[in-house]
Amino acid sequence: MSRADLASGQVIRMSLLFRLQPLMLTVLLLVLAVTGFALMYHENALAQAVIRLEGGVQNRGIVHRVAAVLLMANLVYHIFYMLFSREGRPELRDLMITRRDIDDFLQSLRYNIGAATEYPRFGKYGYKEKFQYWGAAAGTVLVSITGFMLWAEGFSMIFLPKFVLDLAMVIHGYQGLLAFVILFFWHLYNVHLHPSVFPMNPSWITGKVSAEWLRQEHPLEYEKLKEEGLL
Amino acid sequence: MRRRVLAAVLFLSGLWLLPGAPPDAGAAISLEKCTLCHGKPEFRKLLVGGHIRDLFATGDTLKGSVHEKKTCADCHFDVAEIPHREHPKRVVCTHCHFKGNKEGAPQSDNVLAYFDSVHGQAIAKGNTKAPYCQDCHGNHMVLKTKNPESKVSHSKVAETCGRCHIEIYAQYKGSVHGAALGKGIQEAPSCPQCHGEHRIYAHKDPQSTVFATKVSEQCSKCHASIAIMGKFGIETEQVATYKESFHGVASKFGSRTVANCSSCHGVHDIRPQEDPLSSVNKINIPRTCGKCHPGATANFAVGKIHVDAKKKESGIIYWTATFFKWLTIGTMLALIVHIFLDMYGRTRRLRGEQ
Repeated sequence: MSRADLASGQVIRMSLLFRLQPLMLTVLLLVLAVTGFALMYHENALAQAVIRLEGGVQNRGIVHRVAAVLLMANLVYHIFYMLFSREGRPELRDLMITRRDIDDFLQSLRYNIGAATEYPRFGKYGYKEKFQYWGAAAGTVLVSITGFMLWAEGFSMIFLPKFVLDLAMVIHGYQGLLAFVILFFWHLYNVHLHPSVFPMNPSWITGKVSAEWLRQEHPLEYEKLKEEGLL
Repeated sequence: MRRRVLAAVLFLSGLWLLPGAPPDAGAAISLEKCTLCHGKPEFRKLLVGGHIRDLFATGDTLKGSVHEKKTCADCHFDVAEIPHREHPKRVVCTHCHFKGNKEGAPQSDNVLAYFDSVHGQAIAKGNTKAPYCQDCHGNHMVLKTKNPESKVSHSKVAETCGRCHIEIYAQYKGSVHGAALGKGIQEAPSCPQCHGEHRIYAHKDPQSTVFATKVSEQCSKCHASIAIMGKFGIETEQVATYKESFHGVASKFGSRTVANCSSCHGVHDIRPQEDPLSSVNKINIPRTCGKCHPGATANFAVGKIHVDAKKKESGIIYWTATFFKWLTIGTMLALIVHIFLDMYGRTRRLRGEQ
């Protein structure tokens, strides 16, 4: 954390390398959603227009698979980053789901309906962030595996019967839809519409948040940084 | 004098060309004159290649046909003298069957469609083997199409096409469609139900009703109809599930290489799945799929091919789809509820309430 940052009350929340990964994910998921849902809802006139725009069903597939390969590369990079890099390992530790997250979630529910007086105090990542992270991670893995099975259908069918591929297709489509729904509602609320960040939490570009925001939204992290003398 | 004769000759020959006064050379030629030779039962001609052309014709030849009131020279109008020195030309039906003809001969645009078809085009290119009207409709014994005895009636037309398309006819006869028609099932398709009647095009021609991208549409005319399929206990969902599949979608968006109905089920030799000769019998599926998916294994036959995730019969696929559907709906509702609760709590905090 540079002196300038400290002077302006800014705290680094995500490093550049860390930021690049959700950025890639955002772009690729958008491409995959546009090309994928066009196929899933091919009866729809809008979907048909999208497929024409993508240059027909053949090109749609190529675009979808190129994006998919990049997404899988991003995923593999992310796994290595989280497991083996000096920067990533503490992040993974912060993102682990613990008993506390469930308690926090229940506590926040109680608080929100007026049954508790104290709103839970979060660390660097609260249950909202963790839910989104692990949801996206599990979804990406599931979609990647089923997508790969369907792509290399000749290879898959050496080992797997036809109905497993049918299953893969159902899962691939619905999982894509589920991921999209979660991103749409959860992400939109947490980092755009939430009163503390409206209209947008800028940290996905700048990597920084204000110390004051951190103190209010993630007080445990704020206190930890303060203890370490980083604030 | 000579000049006058010449003028008269010119005038008379000009009359020939005048419309409304056609030369009715044939009118002078009576049936009796024709049957002098053609009435002998042994009157026939040996053709090159050993074929025999029967030239026997009497006053009874046209009896019972739609042309029974006609006589020889009405159609063979190029015969002007008896015995004719030249081989009479092929009969041209449009001599009478043209729009606005005075005799009331039925006319439709089918003749124009025919000239555009693969058969008409072959004729135009000089292929003498290509069929002309009389090759399908019959020469002397022309009957109405609805007459079961007609050569182009629903039950007989395949045999008529088969006179030239012999191998295809043999395949068709053994197929589920040919066998059904043989049993007198009127719903079973014969050749024209898929290929069209006069507008027949080569299957590689995009105008063809059986062009790769149009095959499923053609099959679905009957196979999507509950009214027809219900009679025989055949499912109609095959068409819908194909359209939902990768194959169907690719075909809809113009792929010409993707599998259509006939890629798997066969073309003229379609047989029921239980038949060991069927290309979609379980033992033949690896070979059938292998046409496009090299190295296809027996795994291709494990599980339903025309699978519908929305139907309970699909088992685990249905349950997975249903699970995901409710998971998605549930997640959506839970998130919305959570968002509103969260906003409510935060608003109270902002207002300083506890």
